Amino acid sequence: MVKVESLLKIFRDKKRGEIIAVDNLSFECKSGMILGVLGLNGAGKTTTLRILATLLKPTSGTAFIDGINILEKPDRAKERIGFLSGDTGLYRRLTPRELVCYFGELYDIPKKESNKRLEKFAEQLDMKEFLDTKIDKLSTGQKQKVSIARTMLHNPKVLIMDEPTAGLDIIASENIVQLIYEAKSQNRAVIFSTHMMYEAQKVCDEIIIIHRGKLIRSGSIDKMRSETGMEDLDNIFIESIREVI
Amino acid sequence: MNKVKTIYKKEFLDVLRDRRTLISMIVVPLLLIPLMTVGMSTIVGSQLKKTKAETHKIAIEGADNYPRLSEYIASTDGLEVVSVDDYKSAIADKSLGAAVVIPESAATAVEMGDSAVVKIYYDAAEIKSQFARNRITKSIAAFKDSVVSERLKVLGADVHILNPISVRTENVASEEKMSGYALAIFLPYIIIILTMVGAMYPAIDLTAGEKERGTLETILASPASRMEIAAGKFLTIFTASMITALISLISLTLTAKIGMANFEAGSSDIAFKIQPLSFIVLLLLMLPISCLFSATLMTISLFAKSYKEAQSYLTPAMMVVIIPSMISFVPGIELNFKLALVPIVNISLVAKEALMGNIQWGYIGLVFLSTAVLASLSVFIAKRQFDREEVLFRI
Repeated sequence: MVKVESLLKIFRDKKRGEIIAVDNLSFECKSGMILGVLGLNGAGKTTTLRILATLLKPTSGTAFIDGINILEKPDRAKERIGFLSGDTGLYRRLTPRELVCYFGELYDIPKKESNKRLEKFAEQLDMKEFLDTKIDKLSTGQKQKVSIARTMLHNPKVLIMDEPTAGLDIIASENIVQLIYEAKSQNRAVIFSTHMMYEAQKVCDEIIIIHRGKLIRSGSIDKMRSETGMEDLDNIFIESIREVI
Repeated sequence: MNKVKTIYKKEFLDVLRDRRTLISMIVVPLLLIPLMTVGMSTIVGSQLKKTKAETHKIAIEGADNYPRLSEYIASTDGLEVVSVDDYKSAIADKSLGAAVVIPESAATAVEMGDSAVVKIYYDAAEIKSQFARNRITKSIAAFKDSVVSERLKVLGADVHILNPISVRTENVASEEKMSGYALAIFLPYIIIILTMVGAMYPAIDLTAGEKERGTLETILASPASRMEIAAGKFLTIFTASMITALISLISLTLTAKIGMANFEAGSSDIAFKIQPLSFIVLLLLMLPISCLFSATLMTISLFAKSYKEAQSYLTPAMMVVIIPSMISFVPGIELNFKLALVPIVNISLVAKEALMGNIQWGYIGLVFLSTAVLASLSVFIAKRQFDREEVLFRI
């Protein structure tokens, strides 16, 4: 479903010179798979996921979303992606209904169908009571539910989530975890980055660990356990980083 | 195109719900113009009226040197002669309007057919003192005329011997020009500034504000292309700016129409009027300038990471507009081919002419065209900025 081929991203900064944020990265995430992207701060996780979501262009290499080359047809690729990050915000002066219908229009979903899907989300996520309240007045948890509805509205085949639980309380985080599980059960491919090892250990089928833009370990947790002889993902992660420092 | 429409509709709804934008787009032009034209002129006018009607205290030093003159001055309406120890200090501390000093030999000199120098002391920085001086000057001039008349009588000559040529001036300016003159000086400045202010808040809110709130990333991840996003945002900012320009013009026309705006300058009242054609020309000129402001402000704001940062970027930009738009205040500068190509200066000058009923279609076309070219360039640059990752994400 998602195939990343030799992705390279170099930022050019006047003061710092060339910064290699993603260095020849290749990986794959199949339908119905949850892929965790782990790395220290500045490892290149956000840049990688932003490239996959077509927010950034790679310096070289490419990726395919459902067989569509993100460089050749970014708009078509975007139609198949649901992107959510800790930084993605919501229009605070709109209501959840207005926001979802707005994104529905952008995804060429008829208004009637958007409303139908919204009602379904409202039922599933317990959103009915605040559908017509301005987003500004909602709690963090309620906003998170609106974000989930916005992300899933167009039935994306691929979910890309960049630290989606960052800054959320335990209940709001659980909503995200449920979303990930549900996406897997619906045969969607899920790629998500996190700092929380226990979260990755709990939900991921496969993991990639990147450091300074380079892939340093990949595979299932069981595979990593047998490679390192360590049980906890925390220790596996630290050991993997130490090996390359 | 559909996505541009969708984005535009949503952005405009969002903008209409933003209190800051509403204030700058509607409240400021709706209140500022009546306040400036009516409020300021009423305050200034009533103050001038009050000052004119006031009786000014003056001192006469050496009154005994020429009793006839000092009595004449003392009998002038609006002047009250008081005695003070130090007239210079009294003028300085505003307890005295002005002082007349009559020299010792004044009466003798005048009676002998000679002349005497009478000095008037006043404070040129004080309006009341200026009024006192004017009244004294007029009073002395009238006294002088009576003395001259007496002298001519003695000589058996007519007063007209001193006045072989009389001058009478006739104003050939149309009523339209006269009524537009007062407006023409300051109105272009106000409209240009308000048009910019109208674009400013939406520009910040839809770019830096969205970055700060994380919504820019959300929209960029949608299937809308960067071009469509930039177009939707630009059109929203442009609409807000044009609404501000339109409200400013309507507010001014209404203020003029209900006859509230009267500047009491001296003895003449100048009524404000905007001719329908001038209104249309002004609105037409606002199209490219509003487009230029919208694209430029959007580009500058896009560089900022936050609302606050964008505001600090736009303050110097505001100065860049204020200074050339004040050209209409400068007397004697007339629109010519070169000035018609200088952005903002050209709008200010051509708007000034239009308000005075001088519709120069050639220059209007040139100004429109040159500003439109610049505006197109700004729109192109704004679009380019939307394609730059380092600008959008401040990497």
